[in-house]
Formats: sequence, C-alpha cells, structure tokens
Amino acid sequence: MTGQPLSAPARAVLTADEIARLLPHRHPFFLLDRITALEPGASAEALKNVTASDGVLAGHFPGRMLYPGVLLVECVAQLAAVIYGSAAAQSSTGDLVADVADRVGYLAEIRQAKFMKPVFPGDQVVFRAQSGPRLGGLISVNGQASVGRELVMTARLAVTELDQP
Amino acid sequence: MVMTLDEATRRATARQDLCSQVKQLLVDRLSLDVDPQAIGDDQPLFGRGLELDSIDTLELAMAVEDTFGVTVTDDDTQSLLSLNRLVDHIEGARA
Repeated sequence: MTGQPLSAPARAVLTADEIARLLPHRHPFFLLDRITALEPGASAEALKNVTASDGVLAGHFPGRMLYPGVLLVECVAQLAAVIYGSAAAQSSTGDLVADVADRVGYLAEIRQAKFMKPVFPGDQVVFRAQSGPRLGGLISVNGQASVGRELVMTARLAVTELDQP
Repeated sequence: MVMTLDEATRRATARQDLCSQVKQLLVDRLSLDVDPQAIGDDQPLFGRGLELDSIDTLELAMAVEDTFGVTVTDDDTQSLLSLNRLVDHIEGARA
C-alpha cells in the first residue's frame, strides 16, 4: 500500500442513532452521520460521508454525480437542530440526548450561501455550525462545510424552535 | 442641570450622525430598495412603515450587535418599532 496512512475519523460525541433521537428527519432526509464536537446551545461539528449509493446522486446528475448544494445547506440546518435539541435535552434530563425531535421547527431564512467547490462521492464533509443571536423565536446560525482543508460551503441561516410542540 | 448651547448642539449632531449610520445599516444589511435619507426618524420599521418582517428583525439585531456592540434581545423588542427607538436603545446601551 502506498501513500499517506489514512487518519481515523473523529470520535463520535453522538452516533447516528443518537442524532435520530434529536431530529424528526428520517431516510432519505436524515443527512448527518456523526457529531464530533458539541456545545449544547452554542456550536457543533458533524461528519457526513458522501457515497455513490446515495439515491439523490442517481439523479444529480446521471454521468456526473455531485452532492447537491442545497443539501449541504440542509445539513447545516440539521446540525443547528442538534445544537438546540441537545440544549433542550440537557436542561430537561441532564443528558445530551433525549426524545426532543418534536421541538424542531422550520428553516426560516437562507442568507449568503456560498458554494466554493463541488462535493463528490467519496468526500467526507465536515460541517461546523455556531448559534448566534435569538430574537422572537428565531435563531441565527452560521455554518460552513469543508472537505479536507478546503472550505466548500458557507451559509447563514435563521431557524425556529418549537417551545410547546 | 442646564445644558449649554454648545453641549446641546454637540449632542444633537451626534444623534443625527447615529441616525444616519443606522439608516445606512438598515438599507445595507436588509438590502432595502430605498434611499437611507428618505427613512423618517419616527417611521415605523415594520408593518405600514418600512414593511420589515420578523426575519428582518433578527438580521437587524445582528447588524446592530456587529456594528455598535449593542445586543437586542426579546426584552428589547420595543426598541425595534421605529428608528428613533432603536437609536435610543443604542445610545442608552453605550452610555
């Protein structure tokens, strides 16, 4: 075997099964594989492995598979839901994970989304999101995605959380 | 305490400058298709005024924090009703 040894993927702070307790999303719209850093209510980091077997790549595009930019934005929105869902779980149970998926609200705004490089099957995408000011039920979120050392997407979002589902 | 004419003039000028800065900030950050100088100091920002919505409110709060270092929280939402109230809030927080 030649080349650099592969580094091990970052250790899971939350596994995919644990993420599924925080989010209402399910296949084919459950997009994050692993949470690798988490500060509830403030910030988080996640991994997503893009694979050719993902059904969306069959249509985007035949003969030229690339991961849709809008789904990179959706990954940041789901990571935002992990940030505030884990905060809700922690305040109610003391644990990072609880069945709080019904608190997830809506994506209210996508602002300044930039897509710097395409993402292909085989890429491991690292997402980072930081929660910003909250006002009137809206939460601002800054997000970015990178593959290796290269930034592939940045976006600012506004999302909502349902206090009384 | 009685204010001197010079002091009153200085404060009025500073207030006017701050109003102009906030108007420019509104237009720039919310991509409004209006001349900043056409925004009245008492014009409502929402509804029949500049017709901003709740999502714009969040952006405006972030812009004020970024530019003036002044936070706007759910307890301060009255300060977003008009430009004058917003400028009052910024001046009060900086005092």
